[in-house]
Amino acid sequence: MDYGAILGKGAEADIYSFTAFGTEMVVKVRNPKAYRIAQIDNSIRRARTKKEARIMAHAAGIGVRVPRVFALGTFSIYMEMVKGKNANLLEEKELASRRVLGSAGEMLGMMHSSGIVHGDITPANIMVSGNGIYIIDFGLAEMSRSVEDMGVDLLLMERSVSKNGFGLFLEGYKGSNASSGNVLKRLEEIKRRGRYQNRSLD
Amino acid sequence: MLVMGIESSAHTFGVGIVEEGRILSNVKDMYQIKDKGMIPNKVSLHHLKCADKVIKEALEAAGIRPDQLDGIGYTMGPGLGPCLQVGMLSAKAMAHALGIKIAPVNHAVGHVEIARAYAGLDDPLVLYVSGGNSQILKISQDKFRHYAVLGETFDMGIGNMLDTFAREIKLLPAWGSSVEKAAAGGRYIELPYTVKGMDFSFSGLLTRLIELSGREKREDLCYSLQETAFSMLCEATERALLLTRSHELCVCGGVAQNTRLRSMLAHVAAEHGTRFGFGPNEFNADNGGMIAFVAEKILKAGKSVGLNDCVVKQRYRIDEAEVF
Repeated sequence: MDYGAILGKGAEADIYSFTAFGTEMVVKVRNPKAYRIAQIDNSIRRARTKKEARIMAHAAGIGVRVPRVFALGTFSIYMEMVKGKNANLLEEKELASRRVLGSAGEMLGMMHSSGIVHGDITPANIMVSGNGIYIIDFGLAEMSRSVEDMGVDLLLMERSVSKNGFGLFLEGYKGSNASSGNVLKRLEEIKRRGRYQNRSLD
Repeated sequence: MLVMGIESSAHTFGVGIVEEGRILSNVKDMYQIKDKGMIPNKVSLHHLKCADKVIKEALEAAGIRPDQLDGIGYTMGPGLGPCLQVGMLSAKAMAHALGIKIAPVNHAVGHVEIARAYAGLDDPLVLYVSGGNSQILKISQDKFRHYAVLGETFDMGIGNMLDTFAREIKLLPAWGSSVEKAAAGGRYIELPYTVKGMDFSFSGLLTRLIELSGREKREDLCYSLQETAFSMLCEATERALLLTRSHELCVCGGVAQNTRLRSMLAHVAAEHGTRFGFGPNEFNADNGGMIAFVAEKILKAGKSVGLNDCVVKQRYRIDEAEVF
């Protein structure tokens, strides 16, 4: 299948632009991995595509702003093209604000409350558009009630933003997740454990 | 500088001699594993019995006398306590007798640094795969120069998983290379595949394999085990490669001897225009040469340790060790 221009290449999938019925879309395609045998490759790509779309639909259903999914292929998801900027490209002042990190915290709180763990929540996966923010890339997301998984979500965000920015993120998070106390307690526990120390990239 | 290195963390008692980064000799004696795996006290007895012989052979092979040595290194950890003790004692005895400096070495740093040197790589992303360890590593300058762990196994090292399965289905010799041989001509059976970001887990895979071991053909199990476990490692490695934007990839440790794993990693590297390399097999298996290689760097940095300050540390993580 021919898509439009390639917009991004990830470990998990490639992103293309695609226009149909006069609408600009984004297609996320899990292309084959040459290193693994077809049986493993196909079953993993099929299962993860289905799971990602299902979790995106679930998140949208509880009011989290995610790109709308238009269509689902075996290894591809066709979704709304969100016009905006990835939050990691913003200036610190713009990023560390109620509108961006505060609102992202609120959305992660909603997700955790209903059993969705994002798995890769960093500013690179927050899109900032004119009418608010969107959470993107559910490629590593899981349906999970595990406090540990939720703690790891928070840890990843804490590692990726300034202290002030994380404070604003947490304000939003606490406001939308009634069990945030347990998760925050686990976050401190995780940080005390050896295996998560010295794991930042630089 | 002329430096001897002693490795004794697991089944191998190895002695190597290095001069200015060049390996002069690398001699080893390995405890033969039969049906039970490694019983630490039995293995350490083996090391005690062969220590003198291996040291002598390493000196002879290098063509030097003990009094020419400038320093000696030993594996401080990670490894089996009783086994590590034998290496440390040998090093202390020699350092005392010869009046030379002594350097404790992290076993994992040994594998990585020697593989990196032989592969001619400068600052690679490293997949370190051995019995007790499976980690994705990259040099970090944060606080001090060390290998930061970007991803690792949640439970067992891949080598232990391969060895345990080999024993379970009674392959001889009972370790990973026998699994590779037995995998030839196998067909794929679906097995649990567990990757979380850059971390992975092997215990569920091993449990399922043992469950299936009476019912399915041996070659099918071995083939599917390799394909599944190595695909998991490759996926996590590819993610780390993109995250770090590394232009070099290195694989090392005992399981790096596996040709299927190497060819899969070569695919991953080629996909991203990354240089891929590994060291000779004699240094992927446990050996004293790599300990000598790192010990020389430590001694040159002036970081020797007094005779009374030598210790072993069973759980000595690679990210705790300063790299020079």
